Amino acid sequence: MQLNQRNNILGALTAATCTLLGAPAVSQEAQSVEEPWKFDTAILYYGESERVTAVEGVFSATKDFGNEHIFNGKVTIDGLTGASATGAVPQPTAQTFTRPSGKDEYDIAATEIPLDDTFRDTRVQLNGQWTQPAWQDYRVSGGLHVSKEYDYLSMAVNGALAKDFNQRNTTVSLGLSYAFDSIDPEGGRPVAFASMPLKRDFASEQQYQDAFDATRLTGSDDKNTLDLLLGVTQVINRRTIMQLNYGVSAVDGYLTDPFKMLSVVNTQGLTQALVYENRPDNRTRHNVFWQTKYAMDSGVADISYRFTTDDWDIDSHTLDSRLRYNLSPNTYIQPHFRYYQQSAADFYQPYLMASDGLPQFASADYRVGEMTAFTLGVKYGVLLDQGKELAFRLEYYQQDPKNPGFDAPGVLQDLDLYPSVKAVMAQVSYRF
Amino acid sequence: MRQIIILFCLLSFGVIAQQAPNFNLSDPALGSRLSDLKGKVVYLDFWASWCKPCRHSFTWMNQLQAAYGEQGLVILAINLDAEPELAQAFLQRHPASFHIQFDPQGNIAEQYQLLGMPSSYLIDAGGTLRHVHQGFFTDKQPVYHQQIKTLLGERYTEQLMTSMGTQK
Amino acid sequence: MKRKPVIVICLALSLSACASLGVKPWERDLLAKDEMALSADPVDLALDDHIYFSKEAASGGRAFAGGGCGCN
Repeated sequence: MQLNQRNNILGALTAATCTLLGAPAVSQEAQSVEEPWKFDTAILYYGESERVTAVEGVFSATKDFGNEHIFNGKVTIDGLTGASATGAVPQPTAQTFTRPSGKDEYDIAATEIPLDDTFRDTRVQLNGQWTQPAWQDYRVSGGLHVSKEYDYLSMAVNGALAKDFNQRNTTVSLGLSYAFDSIDPEGGRPVAFASMPLKRDFASEQQYQDAFDATRLTGSDDKNTLDLLLGVTQVINRRTIMQLNYGVSAVDGYLTDPFKMLSVVNTQGLTQALVYENRPDNRTRHNVFWQTKYAMDSGVADISYRFTTDDWDIDSHTLDSRLRYNLSPNTYIQPHFRYYQQSAADFYQPYLMASDGLPQFASADYRVGEMTAFTLGVKYGVLLDQGKELAFRLEYYQQDPKNPGFDAPGVLQDLDLYPSVKAVMAQVSYRF
Repeated sequence: MRQIIILFCLLSFGVIAQQAPNFNLSDPALGSRLSDLKGKVVYLDFWASWCKPCRHSFTWMNQLQAAYGEQGLVILAINLDAEPELAQAFLQRHPASFHIQFDPQGNIAEQYQLLGMPSSYLIDAGGTLRHVHQGFFTDKQPVYHQQIKTLLGERYTEQLMTSMGTQK
Repeated sequence: MKRKPVIVICLALSLSACASLGVKPWERDLLAKDEMALSADPVDLALDDHIYFSKEAASGGRAFAGGGCGCN
């Protein structure tokens, strides 16, 4: 009773003395703890022997506006030139192809794998992402993506929600992304399995042009991609953190590559015609991704494994490992090894047999065929003062396409239908 | 165990009312135990050199020290670096005008059941834990100021009433 | 078809095992390092993703990071 009375008086007096104590010297406005902008820049050269060469530049800017309200904006520009496999098989004699524009032709020497060397494209990509805490123990994130090249436009939005549990040792996240892509290829989209016309087979220019136009669809086509990602991140101990993701991706729309074709061969393996490929117009893929990072006294080990499976029957396994070793307090070296393996899509065929008639779907693109690939690389980084960092990266990438079980007819037995693709990547990055 | 659960429940409101867990002080100028600081309002902070928001909390605590130090606020920042030399390097870059104590084993942090870094606790003049702040968010600073002023006001009133009582 | 239950079981197991794993908030000195972030060097990862996306049939899998720095 007495205590209560005392407390009441205390309360009243406190209210009074608070005002007596006066305003403190410190501003009561929330002070700004904005971090300065941080920039990540990089330039990458990618060169395949005798095929594509690409140069890609990235400028990424990140800012913490205080209280973990973080913005990241990124501009990526890349230029691509060179030759790309068309899907046609090599022949014992020289071959002639019509370019995708229909305006020109190119020749491929005997026994050479047909490559179309007209590829020349510039792509500009913009990304913006905002992340901030929400409620207690939640983080929300939202982003936009636009990518434009000469014949292709891609736009995407994404949103994600993450929640921390167990003293922030466990994080569960759910992300959604929707992308809309529009494609309007040079020369138009080919009609599925239309036979590629060659100028020399026609009496006049006009007759050829009419025949070429008949193989093309007018206007653009598009595709929609919906991605869902569920992730769990777990701190194991003071040195180990682990992540496990499950993702599902559903694509619907134009999934054919307008620049790819198949050779139609007879029982001697000789090309009778060249027809444009056709893929299903939807694809659903599931993937599981597992990553572990381990802090050593002298660096960091990073190992990840990814499994994907889809309704095109392509299963893939990817093993990726990076080992950062600190050479000194401000330099490090980081070897990188990646191994990749995929099975062939159910509609993959290295060529079509003239006697079999046309299937519903077919592609001879080695990228949907069976293959293994590996990457070997090394990165060297120098930490400069105030969080600046300069790094160099050099990698070798090799793809080895495989025959998923086709018995090559006639002359094709003596030709290399599954040539390896070898590439070098060189990158310089600067963070400031 | 029950204590932890109750503490956890109360923490979610940021308002608590229990005796602050006691521990030995390393600075003889302050006393030998935390309980020796009764009569002062204590702002108990936990930090580490690797904790990025802690840089900002240092600036803020220096300002608190300047504003309320004279009025009976004691700021005690407990360092939790496993390697003390990292803490020393941090203090070189971010000088502190308040008291620092080192707890490399995390014993004091364990007693307070820290939920995140940085964390701070406001202890009133009677030695009771009154508020807990998890993380360092500038938008909550006006609230923290109000809490400190209220506790200092209570302390001032207590002193006033005690002196009135002794006069009678 | 048989894979789905396996995935669900893996997820459930990893979740239930979580409660006994982890560190105290003040033991995150190593995890707080930039190079221990799950998506450390995001520019490298994005460049790689773009290359492999255009050269291989599978893509994606990695997510935006959770955890890493425990600094609230």
